[in-house]
Amino acid sequence: MGNIIDSLSQFWQFTGFANMTVSHIIMICIGIIFITLGIVKEWEPLLLVPIGFGIIIGNIPMFPGLNIGVYEDGSVLNTLYQGVRMGWYPPLIFLGIGAMTDFSALISQPRLMLIGAAAQMGIFGAYLLSVAFGFAPNEAGAIGIIGGADGPTAIFLSSKLAPDLMGAIAVSAYSYMALVPVIQKPIMLLLTTKKERLIEMPAPRVVSQKEKIIFPIIGFILTAFIVPSGLPLLGMLFFGNLLKESGVTRRLAETARGPLIDVTTILIGLTVGASTQADKFLTGRSLLIFGLGLTSFIIATTAGVLFVKVWNLFLKEGRKINPLIGNAGVSAVPDSARVSEVVGREINPKNHLLMHAMAPNVAGVIGSAVAAGILLSFLG
Amino acid sequence: MKKRILTAFLILLAAASLRAQNVIDLIISEVMVDNDASVLDDYGDRCPWIEVFNTSQGTVNIAGCYFSDDPSNLTKSPIVKGDLRTKIGPRQVVLFYADGNSSKGTFHLNFPLRAGSTLYLVSNDGRTVIDTIDIPEDIPAGQSIGKFATNNKETIFDDVHAYTPSPMSVNGKHNQKSKSDIIKENDPHGYTLTIVSVSVVFLALLILFTIYNFSGKVFSGQIKFRNPFKRAARPAGLAALPAGREEEVALAIAMALNAECGGEAEAAIALALHRFLSECTHDAEPFVITIRQKPGAWNDKTRNFRKQPR
Repeated sequence: MGNIIDSLSQFWQFTGFANMTVSHIIMICIGIIFITLGIVKEWEPLLLVPIGFGIIIGNIPMFPGLNIGVYEDGSVLNTLYQGVRMGWYPPLIFLGIGAMTDFSALISQPRLMLIGAAAQMGIFGAYLLSVAFGFAPNEAGAIGIIGGADGPTAIFLSSKLAPDLMGAIAVSAYSYMALVPVIQKPIMLLLTTKKERLIEMPAPRVVSQKEKIIFPIIGFILTAFIVPSGLPLLGMLFFGNLLKESGVTRRLAETARGPLIDVTTILIGLTVGASTQADKFLTGRSLLIFGLGLTSFIIATTAGVLFVKVWNLFLKEGRKINPLIGNAGVSAVPDSARVSEVVGREINPKNHLLMHAMAPNVAGVIGSAVAAGILLSFLG
Repeated sequence: MKKRILTAFLILLAAASLRAQNVIDLIISEVMVDNDASVLDDYGDRCPWIEVFNTSQGTVNIAGCYFSDDPSNLTKSPIVKGDLRTKIGPRQVVLFYADGNSSKGTFHLNFPLRAGSTLYLVSNDGRTVIDTIDIPEDIPAGQSIGKFATNNKETIFDDVHAYTPSPMSVNGKHNQKSKSDIIKENDPHGYTLTIVSVSVVFLALLILFTIYNFSGKVFSGQIKFRNPFKRAARPAGLAALPAGREEEVALAIAMALNAECGGEAEAAIALALHRFLSECTHDAEPFVITIRQKPGAWNDKTRNFRKQPR
């Protein structure tokens, strides 16, 4: 009888209940909130549901030595996590993004690229703030990239510059990407007048297939020559787009934008979530990173909208740009462009801004990859 | 046949370039002839040693290469294959003992290293010399000669000169500050980095804007280049059309068809055909169904079926 009680007592020590702490409960609650937001509110469910469940997986209390945790060498989760740690999931995601993105809007209105550059101020604004808060330059660079509103880029850069902060940075980046409609809309309304919101932009011209094929080749060569350190991201992005536009690699393009990106999204979401183990994640620095991430999003949106407003001062009537597409300079494709469309139609239901907003939106993807390359060159 | 030859050539070229990326990245970074107080080999003996450094960012296997001190016999001392230790990690070194007794193990050469000789590191083809080092006559005991890397992350090396022995370690400045530390010292508030980075992002997208703005004007017909071959390349029926008036012609065809047949579809087809043939803008989506008359082996299903027996 004594042996049975001893065994049961020993077994109790193995269970999650015996090893549970308040931190574990908090993190599991955060995971449940992520899942709830994804399912109920439908905020980026493809990201929030895997990340939320990953957070729960990573925070099941257990005693060390079972070789199952994400930080234990050789475990299944650790093996899957290598794609995040070594930074090879993000380029695969970029391949899929390239294969599903239509750059026509950008090719037909290349001037809107500059909005994508202006919105990158969020990255560097957050960098300055992070340095001011005492983060080392490499850590500040990794935190700043949250302002690019690009989860894969954030993971790629943080895995190179500050691996210790990667969990907090990745979760922060994806969380704010999911919250793009909530964060951006009030800023857009605050910074624009009713008259500005009513600006109608001329329809973009039709883009020929030749242009669409030439775009990724020229675009890649130019950007990669300027910032070679952005090669993995830029190369895969433009390669994916070439697969889409060439018209002769349909199967490859469909794989890249379908099964490949889906599998990678599942793995990246789940393992990033699992990497947020309470003991490593619930720290003051993580909270600070979340605060800085939010600030970087606000700066990026503000910079994009204000840039258009200032630019409009120099443009003739009929060539003016609706500042509501300024927010789309961050690279959350296509969510931020969708916000421009929704806010624009609220004041004029006939004013469709989606295609116009897609131009700075995809320019933002290129811009954030370039910015990541620059930070990697200086700080890596 | 030509395609096959071309493919084979490209594969050979790729294989050759892969090989070229490997062993040629090795250098003889340091040698010591008179070892009186330096490193001991696995048998506890002090003998001349040769340090080889992998300058690349990838692992290089030195197995199959050769050492020699005789230009007429470059394959004098082969490095045996099958020993995992011959793989040299990126920016790492490996040590060979030139004691004239290769039976002692993988890292022992079959000739003793002598002052005044030239040491050759030869590729696994037995002909290509990867690196050489001239050993001076007057090298004092206890001193090595080597190539000193000015920066551990670069592959720039000084000329060979006398050196305090440092076997099994990279000949460069150690404990160098990281880029982040340097930035922290030179730009404590981050303003310089921010200004430079923002400028580069704008520059990159500004260049793209300039190019696509120009190409957009070309493709939309705002800028026209005279193509001397264009007229000849056009179908015979279209050659008679007045140049530069395609839109008017298209409109006339469409109106005529509309009046004649009363069908909008025919008019649309005429317009689309004309725009396509005159190389105007034609937005062909990637998922249009295209019927090819001459399918290649890749997509020709009939070529992949087994033929029915007669």
